[in-house]
Amino acid sequence: MVEIVVTGMGIVSALGVGTDATLRGLQSGKTSVGRIKYLQTRHVDLPVGEVPCSDSELRRLIEVSDDVKLTRTGLLGRVALKEAIVSSGIENSRPERVAFVSGTTVGGMEKSEQYYRDFLNNNNHNEYIALHDCGACTETIAGQYRGNFAMMTTISTACSSAANAVILGARMIRTGECDAAVVGGTECLSKFHLNGFNTLMILDNEVCRPFDKSRKGLNLGEGAAYLVLETLESANRRGVKPLCRLSGYGNACDAFHQTASSPNGDGAFLAMNAALQDAGLRPSDIDYVNAHGTGTPNNDESESHAMMRIFGDSVPPMSSTKAYTGHTTSAAGAIESVISVLALRNNFIPGNLNFEQKIEGVSFAPQKENLADVQLHHVLTNSFGFGGNDSSCIFSRLEGNGWQVKNDVGGSGIYIQSIKQISMQKPLCEDWFAHPIYSTTPYNESLDPDFKSYIPPMTARRMGRLLKRAIVTSEEAVKDLGGESLDGIITGTGLGCIENTEKFLNAMIDNDEECLQPTFFMQSTHNTVSSQIALHFHCHGYNITYSHRGTSFDSSMYDAYLQMKSGALHHILVGGHDEMTPDYFKLLGKVGYWKHGNCGADVLKKHDTQGSLSGSCSLSMLLSDKRTPETLCRISGMKMLYAPSDEQLSVCLKSMLENGHIPLSDIDAIVMNYSGDKDNDDVSHHVYERLFAPIPVMWYKHLFGESFCSSAFGVYVGAVALSRGMVPTNLLYEGGSPIDHLRNIIVFNHFHNQDYSLVLLSC
Amino acid sequence: MEELILELKKEIIEVLNLEEMTPADIDENAPLFGEGLGLDSIDALELIVLMEKNYGIKLANANEGKEIFQSIKCMADYIAAHRTK
Repeated sequence: MVEIVVTGMGIVSALGVGTDATLRGLQSGKTSVGRIKYLQTRHVDLPVGEVPCSDSELRRLIEVSDDVKLTRTGLLGRVALKEAIVSSGIENSRPERVAFVSGTTVGGMEKSEQYYRDFLNNNNHNEYIALHDCGACTETIAGQYRGNFAMMTTISTACSSAANAVILGARMIRTGECDAAVVGGTECLSKFHLNGFNTLMILDNEVCRPFDKSRKGLNLGEGAAYLVLETLESANRRGVKPLCRLSGYGNACDAFHQTASSPNGDGAFLAMNAALQDAGLRPSDIDYVNAHGTGTPNNDESESHAMMRIFGDSVPPMSSTKAYTGHTTSAAGAIESVISVLALRNNFIPGNLNFEQKIEGVSFAPQKENLADVQLHHVLTNSFGFGGNDSSCIFSRLEGNGWQVKNDVGGSGIYIQSIKQISMQKPLCEDWFAHPIYSTTPYNESLDPDFKSYIPPMTARRMGRLLKRAIVTSEEAVKDLGGESLDGIITGTGLGCIENTEKFLNAMIDNDEECLQPTFFMQSTHNTVSSQIALHFHCHGYNITYSHRGTSFDSSMYDAYLQMKSGALHHILVGGHDEMTPDYFKLLGKVGYWKHGNCGADVLKKHDTQGSLSGSCSLSMLLSDKRTPETLCRISGMKMLYAPSDEQLSVCLKSMLENGHIPLSDIDAIVMNYSGDKDNDDVSHHVYERLFAPIPVMWYKHLFGESFCSSAFGVYVGAVALSRGMVPTNLLYEGGSPIDHLRNIIVFNHFHNQDYSLVLLSC
Repeated sequence: MEELILELKKEIIEVLNLEEMTPADIDENAPLFGEGLGLDSIDALELIVLMEKNYGIKLANANEGKEIFQSIKCMADYIAAHRTK
């Protein structure tokens, strides 16, 4: 039995810096939403929940000098992380394996939007190019604490990102993948999403009024928060007194609309219900609900109906704290988790500011005034994101009153049933296996199939090519499901629909923040891909998006692996989707991503210069817990690590092989991430020599190119080779005769020598 | 008015990416949402942007669109009466 406790937390928001300031702010009963002070925008009439510190002041708080390049999202994250780490005492007595899971969607956009023209036209601010993506943001936040972490990833599901980070951290602990996890999220205000929400016409030009009949919309806010989760056993071993328990969690997809919630709150209902079941609690056990309550007409009505479905006539005291902090989007799930823990520990319910009158058709009213001296045992907090990504977490007082904690172990085998791709190879088939297309140019477009036969025109008209590719590969991969239903959709995307992001960014700069199109904003959100797939299949199951640089796909597969290992889910669609545009190609070229001139396979093998050849990746993989005649291969193990030493990597490999009951001598090939880039290949080569030599090496980037999700092709070539029982010469790094007796393959990946993954595939 | 209606149809086809449609396919009296053209709430937001960008009409609330976007004819009438450019 694994019990998960919270042993530390850190927070920064419009309420101030730190948990004490947050509690005082809430107890004051006053809003911290006000006029824009720091964000440079023409929409100064829109109230926001801005953190009351300039970037320089934030730097001073964490003693970081001006020459360390950090975005505001990164700075806020570091402020919160510092408090979480210090309060948990992790630095003095570290749990054995600690994971870091952070949510963000804005990432480095606040700098990209300032310097976008410079990025394209000169070299004045190139240092921020590499800080744009969400994963880069997580890496910079880890900062001086990075040595504490054994694994790291980034979740980007818009406004539920941080809640999903809490959930992943908890799952990793329950499945024994780590002993502790630092989980949460960060988001700063950006002109990009302020304008984006404005085009959706869901911003209130006064302070928001959650759950009030007259509510008009939300106010954006910013901030960051992290919680330290660990097993009770680990906390006891370290001699740390836990703050409370995390007793349950749930995630579901509304699968109704890209930006709106269903009238009945289906996704919200499913998420809350799943959290209650997970915790072994009845609805009547919940003493306070910290609602998502953004203040938009749609959310609050939908969420109210979901709560009426869960709680019936006895909805417990509930409130939204968005009027205190603004809607801190990707950080909200963590900020409100911290608020929930503060409520629990201080027997305090923060009031729902600005409430006057109930919503028509809603039977209950929120708790309007602050309530002190209430006995709280279990607090439920909701976080919902674009695309109907709905998550609920339950925090409970330490003294348990009889609830059961599920122990996630067991489950059966995990099989790759099908993989379909769109890339620079012939789409949706394995022609590359015998007849590959070789490219010698650095920039490569994918060979798209005829989308029209898959997606009706009224649906396709808003989709960029990445979304279309994701739908088509998913549709094809799921064909092998044989009447069973999909219960999870997990997507990796380093950048999301970057083509739409660029369109919105360019229009915002050209039109001086006026007359912007909502469609481009909506499609720019990373989890658009996963939510569109859910809409396409009407799938209400688990839905999540990882945006962690070169291990975005690996993170998705890892989550799916853990879910299936624990027997929680049975059929999961895992995807890796990233596109390249001429402009983004140019930007990444400036920071050394691509070769100049010829980059044929022979040039890549020399790996004596920086850069690789670029490609786009759309790959969908169906995982199932049953072997069928269509099964490509079995997943016998998977590990993810952060900046491991040789020794740690070796121990990790050994444990993966032992758990899979497969000796290294039974491994017939290693799929390596060789890309032709000197730095990348030097690290890979070192690992190969140390761990795997002389096992034959397969490679794939000469056929599929480099992108944030290109590691998906590593698993792909391994799985296809196993299903056919042979490796053709074109996939062998050293050439030579084909391998024709295949039992097991290891797929190795690393990104910048920081994030590592190992996948063990068997026939 | 005929001219404005044709212009609007062309603009709507472009901005909503109704690739397979021509102005002749759209009945200016048919409802834009639901049964007729089958547009949804995101399209309504796009139409609000279109009115601001091309005709200088700014709506403060998305709900105002409901009356205006009943049909192309309705929209043309509103634009003719309120346009500032």
